[in-house]
Amino acid sequence: MAKLPTPQELVASRPELPSEAWLETKPVFAPGNYCYPAKVETMEALHMPRPHEWDPAAEDWNLPENWEKILCDAFEERLKKHRSLKLFMDICVRCGACADKCQFFLGTNDPKNMPVLRAELLRSLYRRDYSMLGKILGKKIGARSWDKNVVKELFYYAYQCTECRRCSLFCPYGIDTAEITAIVREMLHEVGLGLHWIMDPAKNCSFTGNHLGIKPHSYVEIVEMLADDCEDIVGVRPKTPFNEKGHEILFICPSGDVFADPGIYTFMGYLILFNELDLDYTLSTYASEGGNFGSFVSFNMAKKLNAKMYEEAERLGCKWILGGECGHMWRVINQYMDTYNGPTPRGMVTPKSPITGTVFENAASTKMVHIAEFEADLIRHNKLNLDPSRNDDLICTWHDSCNPARGMGLLDEPRYVLKHVVNNFYEMPENTIREQTFCCGAGSGLNTEEIMELRMRSGMPRGNALRYVQQKYGVNRMCCVCAIDRATLPPLANYWAPGVTISGLTELVANALICKGEHKRTVNLRQEDLPHLDEEDEGE
Amino acid sequence: MQSTEFFFSVRDTVLEEWVNAIFATYPLQTTGFLRSVKDPFTNPVADMTREAATIVYEAVSGWDKKPAEVRQAIDRFIHLRAVQNFLPSQAMLVFYLLKPLLRKHVMPAMQQAGKLKDYLEAESRLDTIVLLGFDMYTKSREVVAENRINEIKNQHAQLVRWAQRVEGAPLSSTEGQS
Repeated sequence: MAKLPTPQELVASRPELPSEAWLETKPVFAPGNYCYPAKVETMEALHMPRPHEWDPAAEDWNLPENWEKILCDAFEERLKKHRSLKLFMDICVRCGACADKCQFFLGTNDPKNMPVLRAELLRSLYRRDYSMLGKILGKKIGARSWDKNVVKELFYYAYQCTECRRCSLFCPYGIDTAEITAIVREMLHEVGLGLHWIMDPAKNCSFTGNHLGIKPHSYVEIVEMLADDCEDIVGVRPKTPFNEKGHEILFICPSGDVFADPGIYTFMGYLILFNELDLDYTLSTYASEGGNFGSFVSFNMAKKLNAKMYEEAERLGCKWILGGECGHMWRVINQYMDTYNGPTPRGMVTPKSPITGTVFENAASTKMVHIAEFEADLIRHNKLNLDPSRNDDLICTWHDSCNPARGMGLLDEPRYVLKHVVNNFYEMPENTIREQTFCCGAGSGLNTEEIMELRMRSGMPRGNALRYVQQKYGVNRMCCVCAIDRATLPPLANYWAPGVTISGLTELVANALICKGEHKRTVNLRQEDLPHLDEEDEGE
Repeated sequence: MQSTEFFFSVRDTVLEEWVNAIFATYPLQTTGFLRSVKDPFTNPVADMTREAATIVYEAVSGWDKKPAEVRQAIDRFIHLRAVQNFLPSQAMLVFYLLKPLLRKHVMPAMQQAGKLKDYLEAESRLDTIVLLGFDMYTKSREVVAENRINEIKNQHAQLVRWAQRVEGAPLSSTEGQS
């Protein structure tokens, strides 16, 4: 008689001790764990090296014949170019301080998702060719040779890192594992391996200026449609200046704010705020995207996609750029833009708020100001007439998006703004916010639906903290300044803390903003009834 | 001695062994961390596991626990197991890892005291909890699927709305629907 397994036998999926060393275990490419590959025509259109058909789940990835030489050369080239990479390869003492700080590790319990081991995947290859001991002792000191399984492993784990840099915060040597991930991704592109979800937006951005590839006339019409909505809600139709020359400010935001829910409410917020301030600004259909999926591909692609900001500012004769609520856009601006695309065009000047006169010395180099800084300055100078009670149906918490928080130190400005436009605000636990913030689990081009399952576990630490404040304080809204977060957090909240909705900061600013000439406001930007309406009716 | 007392005299031992058995379903290199760090946000997997295990043990022991209370306690744990790399059976069977421990630590003493019927009822309560959990597991998987669908819709929400407003578009009659 066939013997049925016991529950213990079913669940005991691993032996007491691993049968092989950790470097020998291979990832399993199961659906839900990997992203779809980029299309050949996309890679060709972008002139990416060695485009080819391949399937991550297949045994053979159709790598080019001399793939090993290509990768070794690519590694060497980058070691020479980035002194930081060589340093990161040499100085890690494997103390483990970063090990348990990664949300992918916490969610998957996969040891290779410890940042130290993820980096070790590359470091083991480095040791073979660049360390005397590695050359002599090989595997004994953790050196190994390239093979096709190593390539698969690098791919698997480079795309289970959102480059959020939480691990770097805890590294006593300051090793930036995100930069290692970025370089591994660059190297993989040398043998034609890229993701559809990253390359398609990069291609669209190259050809039309925004991720979805929306042509200028359609872009304008969608913005006009949102302006119509603003008029219905506020009673005043905001201006929608496009491609106009001679304005002081060029405004650039992520296109997700124009196309995707709930980002559109943030965009409507921008329009309402700028109209109320009578800001001398223009939008652009060419620089219609602040987000930079090139930064998930290579430094060169990031540089290329970012160049349109200064080019458009110069063409339109703008003096400085105001940037919307985006995550990696600001990482690129704050960390790389100077060296990528600087110096700024001659006509640009250090940003000065036309409303308050504040000079943003911190932006003297890039000439770009973050909307949260701009709004905080307006509120500090009492330039906005605000009624936070219009947001009284919301009990808010603040999610520090990795790039603005850890990448540029934007921690207090958005909180300052938020506290002035809502009456109910509660922080999540302190080891999950500010510099220690947990990533949404789907940044750096991983916000694609085919890995929803992976996203739910990598976003678990954030979802867990959100659930805590939901249960403790009744939080029903999480705010953030990142378009990818506004796309990825709704499903995450729906899974871990159902009932919590997500929004940008400026949406709540515009809800609270009392505009000149407005009609009686009865609904918020989402066209939901404002709180206290019944009380007002009774009062009348 | 009441039946519940048999369970509570060995509570800490059984709970520790059960939680460790659950941790052992993860790779060896990670179990040290799961066992040693107590902070609910630094080590959420362990926190979720311990929360679920504690309440389930009390419910199985015969303490007065309403289904809602048990559901609340195992909610995070089930959500976690539902999206980790487990087969559905592997995700849910961790509850049954309690049975051999109860049979080792509790059953002999109760049998000796002539309370075998009470012991079997306790095991049945565990079966009930697993079924409650199975509902939640299924719901969790459905939410993952719904999330995928909703995300695809939301990404192009404004584009669809715009397309519906374009004059002469075949979809214009459905304007206002989403």
